[in-house]
Amino acid sequence: MRERLADLAGPLARFYRGYVRRNVPSYVAGAVALVATNYAVVRIPKLAGEAVDLLGAGDRAAIAAARTTAWELVVLGVGIVLVRTLSRILFFNPARRVEYRVGVDVFAHLLAMPRTFLGRQNVGELVSLATNDATALRLLAGFASLQICNVAIAIPMHVVQMWRTHPQLTLACLVPVTLGALYMRHTIRRFYALVRRGMEFLARLSDRVLECYAGVGAIRVLGAERAALARFDERNDAYLDLQLRVASMRAFAMPVLGFSGLVGTAVVLWWGGRKVMAGELSVGDLVAFSALLLSLVSVLTSLAWVLASMSRGMASLRRIDALLGEPEVDEQRGEALVLSAPPSLSVRDLTFAYDETEPVLCGVSFDVPRGGTVGIVGSTGAGKTTLLSLIARVLEPPERTIFVDGRDVKSVRLADWRRAVAYVPQQPFLFSATIRDNILFGLPPEVDPASPEAARRLDRVIRLAALEDDLAAMPEGLDTVVGERGIMLSGGQRQRIALARALVRNAPILLLDDVLSAVDQGTEARLVEAIAGLHGASTAEAPTTVVVSHRTSVLEHADHIVVLDGGRVVEAGSHDELVRAGGLYAAIRAEQGRGEGSER
Amino acid sequence: MSQASRKATSAFALLRRFWPFARPSKGWVLVGLMAMPIVAAATAARPLVAKHAIDRDLPAGDPAALTRTVLVFLAVVLVEFAAQAVQVYALQRAGHATVARLRRTVFDHVIRLPLRYFDRVPVGTLLSRTTSDVEALSETLSFGVFTILTDLIVIVSIVAAMFALDARLALFTLALAPVLVVVVRVFSAALRHLQLETRRAQGIATGFLAERLGGSEIVQVFGRRRDTVAQYEVLGARYLRATQRANVYDALLYALMDGIAALAIAILIFTAAPDVATGAAISVGLLYAFVDYLQRIFVPIREFSGKLATIQRAAASLERIYGLLDEAAEPAPEPTAADPLAGFEGGFSARDLRFGYGEELVLEGVDLDVAPGQVVAVVGRTGSGKSTLARLLVRLYDGYRGHLRLQVRGGSVEVADVPPAVLRRHVAMIPQDVFLFDESFAFNVALGPVDAAMRERVAWALRTVHAWDLVERRGGIDTPVGERGNRLSAGEKQLIAFARVLVRSPELVILDEATASVDSLTESKIQRAMETVFAGRTVVVIAHRLSTVERADRICVFDRGRIVEQGTHGELLARGGVYARLVASEFDRDD
Repeated sequence: MRERLADLAGPLARFYRGYVRRNVPSYVAGAVALVATNYAVVRIPKLAGEAVDLLGAGDRAAIAAARTTAWELVVLGVGIVLVRTLSRILFFNPARRVEYRVGVDVFAHLLAMPRTFLGRQNVGELVSLATNDATALRLLAGFASLQICNVAIAIPMHVVQMWRTHPQLTLACLVPVTLGALYMRHTIRRFYALVRRGMEFLARLSDRVLECYAGVGAIRVLGAERAALARFDERNDAYLDLQLRVASMRAFAMPVLGFSGLVGTAVVLWWGGRKVMAGELSVGDLVAFSALLLSLVSVLTSLAWVLASMSRGMASLRRIDALLGEPEVDEQRGEALVLSAPPSLSVRDLTFAYDETEPVLCGVSFDVPRGGTVGIVGSTGAGKTTLLSLIARVLEPPERTIFVDGRDVKSVRLADWRRAVAYVPQQPFLFSATIRDNILFGLPPEVDPASPEAARRLDRVIRLAALEDDLAAMPEGLDTVVGERGIMLSGGQRQRIALARALVRNAPILLLDDVLSAVDQGTEARLVEAIAGLHGASTAEAPTTVVVSHRTSVLEHADHIVVLDGGRVVEAGSHDELVRAGGLYAAIRAEQGRGEGSER
Repeated sequence: MSQASRKATSAFALLRRFWPFARPSKGWVLVGLMAMPIVAAATAARPLVAKHAIDRDLPAGDPAALTRTVLVFLAVVLVEFAAQAVQVYALQRAGHATVARLRRTVFDHVIRLPLRYFDRVPVGTLLSRTTSDVEALSETLSFGVFTILTDLIVIVSIVAAMFALDARLALFTLALAPVLVVVVRVFSAALRHLQLETRRAQGIATGFLAERLGGSEIVQVFGRRRDTVAQYEVLGARYLRATQRANVYDALLYALMDGIAALAIAILIFTAAPDVATGAAISVGLLYAFVDYLQRIFVPIREFSGKLATIQRAAASLERIYGLLDEAAEPAPEPTAADPLAGFEGGFSARDLRFGYGEELVLEGVDLDVAPGQVVAVVGRTGSGKSTLARLLVRLYDGYRGHLRLQVRGGSVEVADVPPAVLRRHVAMIPQDVFLFDESFAFNVALGPVDAAMRERVAWALRTVHAWDLVERRGGIDTPVGERGNRLSAGEKQLIAFARVLVRSPELVILDEATASVDSLTESKIQRAMETVFAGRTVVVIAHRLSTVERADRICVFDRGRIVEQGTHGELLARGGVYARLVASEFDRDD
């Protein structure tokens, strides 16, 4: 525990500096409110006890005094509601801001991480960092801080109040309560461990359920319903067993602290009763004492919960601290790049491997002239997508392998490169937004999406991507919401919207990764024409383009075609040259050429 | 009012339907319910015992009597603790067991739902019905319902005790309770409203976050990081503001409890003072008992509305679960029933068979006769209806029109009249994607518990389909195949599927594009395996590969939901129709 605290010092200090420090004034005010609260908390039983004694005395003066006491109780009763409320607001609201800042910072940081990092991560886990872990930090900064502060104030105040009434009695009744609190601490730790296992068990049960639901047709055809049910029972029963263990802890172990408080009350009655007989204490003192004891028990209970829940907060803190410590990609580093016209691109002896494994690309070289189009073709796994990602600098290429107008792209500021490139990845990922917003997402930052310029571009790319008919058939045209909360699009429609999103950028460099694989034959031809048309009319305007495809029909218009196989360039040349050469390209073409008319 | 009564009726209906799941645990429920009054009685009695000590033993100055009373007090405390522990344990046990039974029923039901249902409802929704909805119930059953009941009994007994002690004092001090109820209701309503808003804001923010992280590549390559983060800040701030406002109400609701007891004690003093002044006897012990009662009666009142909300959520979950259970499922197999397919040799015929998944017909009048022992290939473009025929033959989908009859000894039976479980013992379908459980090879071939005889049979089947060496290589038939068989290639999975067929020995085997995605190394093995599997069976091959088709006794060509050509490979090629064109385009790459 101690060494764990030691290596938490760094994360805690950074967390404090980054998020908590600005809340310190609020915490101080909150602590003052807590002192006031606890003053009232210990004063109320005292007053109740005094009133009991006064009423017990029964004489006129005493009754008047009791009335005064009652008025003080009214004031304290109203006062405590106010200060208690205030203390919670002063601790919890800044903590909410901590949660918010952490969430935003984590998100911003994640979006600045290199693809090599993001590609390895599960999206669900990343989301959980920005949400669940941020919530855990909020509890640390709010709930835990409040409780710890409260305990630090309340315990001494309770004990002092009790001590002033009767020191020995205080010690006597604190014995069972302290034992109860220690036991509680131990129990809660075990309880949390069980609850965590329970969550794991539930996740494993869900896996099994999902497996069967996803394969339900197969299970039925095979008559394997019984086998599936038996497998389900295995996990369902295991989960139930665990829940029953949790239940028995809840029933038998957790109430022990409360029980110890009542045992303490018995001690107060017995020992304190004897003191009353001896005239050392009054009945009112007994009233005050037992009330204070029960109040102390509730403080200790929350302490035990807080201590246990802190370990979760610390785990989250560690995760978030580790993440925020990972270096971001610095998009501003490097030389400025301003392209007034489409540049030339060249790839020189490019070799690339993801890990220490075999290289995915091996000595690849080719040139794309200004405003020209190069096609990359090859079978699955040939390295086409990797090549394009490297040019787009989605993955960082090695030094001196990719050049723009003769300059190493590595030396160019990434932000400028992003501005120069319109890249359409293989998976046409669209956001849950309108089609219009999805397309305009591709606009460069300097073009206002509400400007006439944006509208002009939008019109143009809708035509280029052959989307008019699709839009006309949609309930709200461009304002149709797509994705999870919207309509389902076909693969081809998604691809064409993704294409439009890239074209709207009007970037001098266009990189297309197999963007027509799900588009039907007729539309494919139209799109190929359109993309070629970008080049046809005025060459000065035409983007320098690299098109990856596994279909040769898409590449016929390319100025130059590179055939990849196993990460190497095996052939290169124009369409006609390659067809005449009768090599791999010709073979692929022959295979596909006759598949025309088949659905994909 | 009518709405309330309707709610009550529907709640009652929900519960009545729920009872069968709880019934097996009724012993525990009974124990829990019996412990409740004990808990309540002990809670109410404890201050009375203390009162006795204060009013009788202390003035008498009798330490022995005090000791006796304190021992009684300890006994009451112990009984309260024990009864409460037993109650909590018994009811949670009953609750969790009930929920486990319900979950099992839901699962068993879902895996027997018609596939049409799965076409309509995403698997994720079904999963959350089986897990999260049931979990929500679990919480309520083990805490909500019964703690409310316990709280109610405790409140009633405390109130009863207070009135028994001094009706006037009870009346005045408890006058705060209705005030509290109203205040809590008002605050809770406001809070619930804010919490709804909070959850909505949170849902939107998290949804945005998840989606942008999923598409982080797009955000990055389009250089939209800055404004994406800015958008998230706006959404997050909305959530932040909602939570901060909710915090205020939440804090007030919490703090109310600290104040209310003090106010109640003040009222107690104000009410008692005149009595004492007129010399009426109000004992100190009575005051002690009242102070004690007043400190514990208000908390359950505050928590009441929260617990009610939990129960309402659970009722909603339960309704969703019932909605799922109300969907008609395939009946569970009855092993005792007579086999209507005795004497089936694999022959079947379709007459004017029509079928559609939705309104549009996929099969538009298919006529087909397959004699026992024949190998028939079915070819056609995607969407021509050839896979649909296979699904109808194993009753994955029902509701065809026309006839689909299986030839049995001395006649024929309509597929729709054969119970699905029986049918599938006789007709096997091997799909393109072989489904494997994350279990051993043996389990996956046997599809059930593996006894000694079954082990033999599994081993024989694996050897026969030439899969033995691949199983051996991975450590034998007791080795797990890994999650969804991810350690096996598509072709290897096919071999396992063939072994399954051998083990069950159906008369009719349907291969649905079974060898479409197989690497060439495994393919030769598969070809050999197929020979063995086909021997002595009727086979329908829904095919992509020419090699399989060529060897078929007959080839049926599907086009737009009809059979447009039939004949042998040679005949059809010679005819130069749809088949010949298909061969030229689709099958060419194999040559």
